[in-house]
Parts: sequence; C-alpha cells; structure tokens
Amino acid sequence: MRDARIIEIVTELDIVTARKLGRDEAKEIGFNDVDQSRITTAIGELANNILLYARAGKIVIEEIEENGSKGIAISSIDKGEGMKEIHRVLEDDYSSANTGAGLLAVKRLVDSIDIQSKIGKGTTVKVVKWLS
Amino acid sequence: MNVNVQFREDGDTLLGYIEGEIDTYTAPILRDELEMIRLSEGLSVELDLSNVNYMDSTGLGVFVAFYKKIVKENASLKLVNLSSRLTRLFEITGLSELMEIGEGGATNARI
Amino acid sequence: MEQIRKQYKKILSDYIGNQSESDLYIGQNFIKRMIQKNVTPEEVISIHKRALEEIYDDIPESVLHGYDFLIEVMVHFGLKVQEHQALLAKQEELRIEMEIATKIQNLLLENEIPSPSCVDIGMISVPLRKMNGDYVHFMHDDERYLSVAVTDVVGKGVPAALCMSMVKYGLDTLEYANSNPSYVLEVLNRIIEKSIDDSMFVSLCYIRYNLQTNVLTWSSAGHEPSLYYEEKSQSFHDLESKGLLLGILPEAKYTQQDIELNSGDFVIIMTDGVTDFRNREEIDSRQIIKELALANRHLTAQEMCEVIYSELQKLHDFKLEDDFTVVIIKK
Repeated sequence: MRDARIIEIVTELDIVTARKLGRDEAKEIGFNDVDQSRITTAIGELANNILLYARAGKIVIEEIEENGSKGIAISSIDKGEGMKEIHRVLEDDYSSANTGAGLLAVKRLVDSIDIQSKIGKGTTVKVVKWLS
Repeated sequence: MNVNVQFREDGDTLLGYIEGEIDTYTAPILRDELEMIRLSEGLSVELDLSNVNYMDSTGLGVFVAFYKKIVKENASLKLVNLSSRLTRLFEITGLSELMEIGEGGATNARI
Repeated sequence: MEQIRKQYKKILSDYIGNQSESDLYIGQNFIKRMIQKNVTPEEVISIHKRALEEIYDDIPESVLHGYDFLIEVMVHFGLKVQEHQALLAKQEELRIEMEIATKIQNLLLENEIPSPSCVDIGMISVPLRKMNGDYVHFMHDDERYLSVAVTDVVGKGVPAALCMSMVKYGLDTLEYANSNPSYVLEVLNRIIEKSIDDSMFVSLCYIRYNLQTNVLTWSSAGHEPSLYYEEKSQSFHDLESKGLLLGILPEAKYTQQDIELNSGDFVIIMTDGVTDFRNREEIDSRQIIKELALANRHLTAQEMCEVIYSELQKLHDFKLEDDFTVVIIKK
C-alpha cells in the first residue's frame, strides 16, 4: 500500500492539485469512472471549504483496507474557527446557507463521514468510500 | 436603495451626516452604524438628515432605540435639517416633543 | 445494475437502428426504472458511454473523453440540484408554518364590526404579507358606549404580528367600552413599554363613542391623524394630537378631546399604510382620501371603506407597501 498523500491547501490552485492526486489514487485503487468523479468532487468540496472557512489547511488522501475490502479515505484538516452544532451540519435544512458548498453534499458522494471540531481549534472531516 | 453615514468630530460634538432611504432593508445598516458610536457622558450627537428622502416606521425605530441609548448614557441627541415630510413624521408620532429637532448649524457645511 | 445496463443498451441500439418514436418513448419510460434503482444522472451517462462503446468499436477517443467530461460535470450538477431541492423542501415547511400562524392570528384577533342602531361603522384591514401588523379592536357595551382602537405595530410580518397579540390582550384586560381614551392609552403604554424591544413601538388611535349623546371622545398615540367631516360646515378637520407612540416612555401622558357627531358627519381613522406614498411625494394622499370620502358619503360606512381601498390600490399600481386599515364611523 502506498503512503498517504498530503496536499497543503492555501490557494485555489491547490484544490486542483488535490483533485488530481485524488483521482489518480481512486483510479489506482480500481474505482470506476463515475466513482472517480464522485471522489474527486468530494475532495474539491472539502478543499474549497478549507479555503472558505479556515483560509488554509490540508487534505490527506490514503488507500484503506478492512476485512478484505479496499477503499479510499480523505481527510480535511484545518486550524480554523471550528464549528458549532456539528450534529446539525449534516441535517438537510442546514446545508448550503450555513456551510457553503455543504458537508451534506459531500456526504451524499461517499459511504461515511466523520466530523471532529473544536471551537477556536479547528476542524477535521474524514470521509470514506469503499470499492463495491 | 442604500443608506450611508459619515461622521466628523467637532470638539464635544459628533456630527453624523446620513444619506439615503431608511426602510425595512436599510434600517439595520443605519442601526449598526449608530451602534458603533462610543457614547460618553456629555457627548452631543448631531445627525443631519437633509439627504434622507424617505423613512418608514422601521427607520423611526432605529432613531427611537438610539435616543434611548443616548438618554441612558447622559449624552444628548439633536436631529437637524429634516425635510417637511420627515418633520411631519416626527410630529405625528409625538417624537418631536421628545427629541430635539432643529436647524443644523455646524453641519450645514458638508462633511 | 448489470441488468439495467443490458436493457439500456438494447433500447439504445434499437433506436439507433430505426430511429422510431416508440423507442424514444420506451427510453423515457425506462428512466422510471432507473430512478427506482437509485441510478443517478452521472451513472446514466456512464451507462450510455459504455453502451456506445459496446455497440461500436470505432468510437474516437475524443468523443469518449467528452463523455468523461460530462460525467464529471453531472456529479456536481446532481449535488446542486439536491441542495436546491432541500431548500425548496425547507421553504415549503416554512410556508406551512406561516399558514398555521396566520390562521392562529386571525382567530386571536377576530373581532366583529358592531352594528348599533344610531351609528354606521365600516372597516377594512388588509395585510401586506400574510400576517397583519395592523389591528382594529371594537368594544360595545349594550347601547351606551362603543369604542374602537386602530393600531399599527412598527414593521411588518411576523414580528409585528407577535407584538400585536400583546396589544390585543392589553385591550382585552380593559374590558369596558366606557373607559376614558387617555386612560386606555396610558395603561397600554405601560404594558407595552415593559415588554418590547427598544426599537419597537405601536401607534394607536382610540375612540369612544357615546351612543346616547353622540359625543365622540378620541385620543391618539403617535397615530396618523384621523379625518373628521363636519356636514354643517361641509369641511374636513384633522384630529391632530402630539401624543407619543406607545412603548417609548413609561410615564407618557395622553390627552383626549371631544367632538359631537351630527347627522351627515363622519370620522375616518386609518393607519400610515393608507397615506404613505413612498416614491411619489407629489401625491397628497390625505386630500385624495377626503375627496373620495366626500364623493361617496351617500354610501354606507363599509362601502366607503371599500371604495377608498380600491381607489388607493389603483393609485399604488396595485403594489401596496404596508398593511392597510381604514375605519369609518358615520352618523
């Protein structure tokens, strides 16, 4: 298994870099064209949120394996303001108006999402998609 | 439509020059601008309304809230150069008995 | 999924073969099955791309890249559509809540126009949005006193409506129609001042009519002056007072005045939504109301209110900007 890829997100160009690396990784793992697009879109949304709400942060892309199935995990890590009401972020009515592109949108593209956030310390979002 | 406020200090007097239309949509902007003023005892605030061409009751509410704050802080407020339409609005509502309304002295010169 | 692919490929190749309308129709109906199986738009394109690749083995690479591009774009398109739908659902939810709130308000503020034998009363009150920031309260003690309060809460919509409920309960606690108007205003002012925000206030015109002596006693708190038409002199008078808006100073005092209504006299009480012409300073709305009332004074009070409403609505090009309320008391 390859090492995790880490992309610092500081400018909009970094979003494209992260997408490219994510797409290559997804292809490598064996995801089909539609899933490759979904994974790439999810990376784009996460990276965009970093720029919008924390100004800077990083995206970590790694291949994962569990009970014989392969998948991809993408984490977005920032040291921004953090979010209140994490439980509400994933509710339907909380989406775009409050969180930009919306983590809800990202959730629909992947199999699972986990959010850890501390006010004033930053936010980590980890999404996982399994190869079906 | 928009509302715009500019301030100038002149000794113990703070002169504010308000321009635009004050309605449900712009009243919050005006409220925020007025809230930023640091009131202190003895400060007199003079607001020039000569370029306010419209005000509805929400706008009136902003002035009422500001007036209450002024009284609380022992400062003073004067509204000057109101159009006849605005003067009538302050008269009908009884606010002209409460607030000082008059001709502008210092603010006649544009800021 | 594999089955869907196969069926799609079959329908597609049938269509390419003979371009018949029936294959198009079958294709459209097939979308229903795809939706049942949760196939997303980008997957449809992917299925289409694969089917084409299988039907023809000479498709240029560039065309296939074109499909890849479309798949990518559709992923995002699908996301945005879903977000949009979520917002629409939320909006619908708010609309339903609003409708319920409006019904509750209508129930709370329900008030019948009294019809005493010696005086004619008309009223019209139309909210700008669903909920009304104007309110008319009538009280009628057997055949002695009749009183009416015309109120306008600053602002419009829900915040104004919530504040209005408080005004209504304040008026309800006063119970009797024979209270002095100035006293009513002083009591209401204290209730309102205690409970509302610094930038909120209420304007109110309170009128008590003595049905036996025909003396009309009025007091006003920051309200648009009422119009009094005197038949004897064939002229209008403004019922002007400098009473302060309710809810600003706890100790505010109000004065009251009397007029005697004789046959043919009438009083028009209105809210500022009736007289306010925002971008048309040239319009003297009070003058227009006087002329309308004068020309229609042979009608009933209710009909006069309706004429004033429909004529002013026309003047506003049917785009009123505030809640609109007119009450007419006619001897």
